[in-house]
Amino acid sequence: MQHLADVEVYSVRTLREALELLSSVKGLRVIAGGTDLIVQLKTGVVPKTNLLDVSRVDELRYVRFEDGILRIGALTTFMEIYRSELVRRHAPLLAEAAFTVGSFQIMNKGTIGGNIVNASPAADSLPPLYALNAELKIVGPRGERFVRIQDFYKGYKKLDLMADELVAEVRIRPPGEGYVGHFFKHGLRRGDAIAVVNGAVLLRLSPEGIVRDARVALGAVAPTVVRSPSSERVLVGSRLSPEVMWRAAEAVVNDISPIDDVRGSAAYRRELSVNYVFMTLYRIARETGVVA
Amino acid sequence: MARRAAVRTVQRRARGPVPQAKVPIRVKINGVEYSHEVEPRLLLVHYIRDVVGLTGTHIGCDTSNCGACTVLMKGTWGNEWRAVKSCTLYAVQADGAEIITIEGLAKNGELHPLQKAFWEHHALQCGYCTPGMILAALGFLKLNPNPTREEIRKGISGNLCRCTGYVNIVKAIEAAAKEIREKGSWI
Repeated sequence: MQHLADVEVYSVRTLREALELLSSVKGLRVIAGGTDLIVQLKTGVVPKTNLLDVSRVDELRYVRFEDGILRIGALTTFMEIYRSELVRRHAPLLAEAAFTVGSFQIMNKGTIGGNIVNASPAADSLPPLYALNAELKIVGPRGERFVRIQDFYKGYKKLDLMADELVAEVRIRPPGEGYVGHFFKHGLRRGDAIAVVNGAVLLRLSPEGIVRDARVALGAVAPTVVRSPSSERVLVGSRLSPEVMWRAAEAVVNDISPIDDVRGSAAYRRELSVNYVFMTLYRIARETGVVA
Repeated sequence: MARRAAVRTVQRRARGPVPQAKVPIRVKINGVEYSHEVEPRLLLVHYIRDVVGLTGTHIGCDTSNCGACTVLMKGTWGNEWRAVKSCTLYAVQADGAEIITIEGLAKNGELHPLQKAFWEHHALQCGYCTPGMILAALGFLKLNPNPTREEIRKGISGNLCRCTGYVNIVKAIEAAAKEIREKGSWI
């Protein structure tokens, strides 16, 4: 365990105070729920830094639906996301993922903004956000800007985020009628599981079972979460038959680059990715009556 | 504005090598108001145990795996009771909160239904995980007062017990849930 007796924790209550401190004090790291960051600091996984505690900035804690866009404040906890009727209606994929991030204690404290900025390639909220083409609202001293989730990650833990900026909101345009999708996750312990592989599959099916749009996103198998264009290409325009589902599932290996680590080997992760994508496609096909 | 002045003070301090002064916090634990000046880096579990002196909240792994440090908290991050692990929370983040620890459950010498059920169903051996297990269960029953056994297992999935194998813990929580529903009062 790392000695943390000289770490400063500055607590603020408003977004304005947070931005002022970020601009004027160098080297602050932002902490929200702290479910991962405090552990990483204690165990020395991340360098010791002074902290800006934004967990009490209540103006960033909300779920709203306005102008056809679902807006989730960055400090909304996974428990709030999981229980939100608006999220369940407009982005059920994200509600599913929110339920798997960890135990209730983790869901009660962990925030979606923290999950995004912590930038683990295994973050459970990210595959759904990639599949839903989510957008992030980023605020800073130069005003606000919007970044697509897939442009936000430049590499392993490399973010399109300046030191004086904060992620303030996640925006999701509901994909519309006819979309069906599911989140999947292979973890080791339900209450405290970092995914070995996770992902989201979102399809739009015609009444005849032809795939009109396909979005396949996978986590923990590359330096960032990735979409699988190879798999999506196999799916679009085809009927969701078992043969097509296998070809689509096997195609994901073209778009991932897993590594060996404590949670699993690269080969195991490739195998899991294929099988989970197949199982998720099959689940969707059954639920929509395309296969018996 | 007082808050803006406070921010300026923090900014001024933060620029130099001078460490931040202690921060005043006020919390209500088991119905009792406490106010202290604490180091900003003090974890809530250390505050509860070492400053307030309530040692029923245990520290197991110190890294949010085991759940022994679970307490219920409300008034910050919304006004509902929720179970949190107090080893990954700074005391300053709990400023203004209400907290329930294991010491706050028994009333007038009578055990809380969960405590009673843990006793009756042999849901503990060494007892180390028990305070966290009971508070995790209580936070979960507040959300889901009539759970299935499978749901109870999800409800306590953030807590580790190395003695019992969980079967009796699940039975105890099931029995306590029934009593809590019949009594109509969860605390």
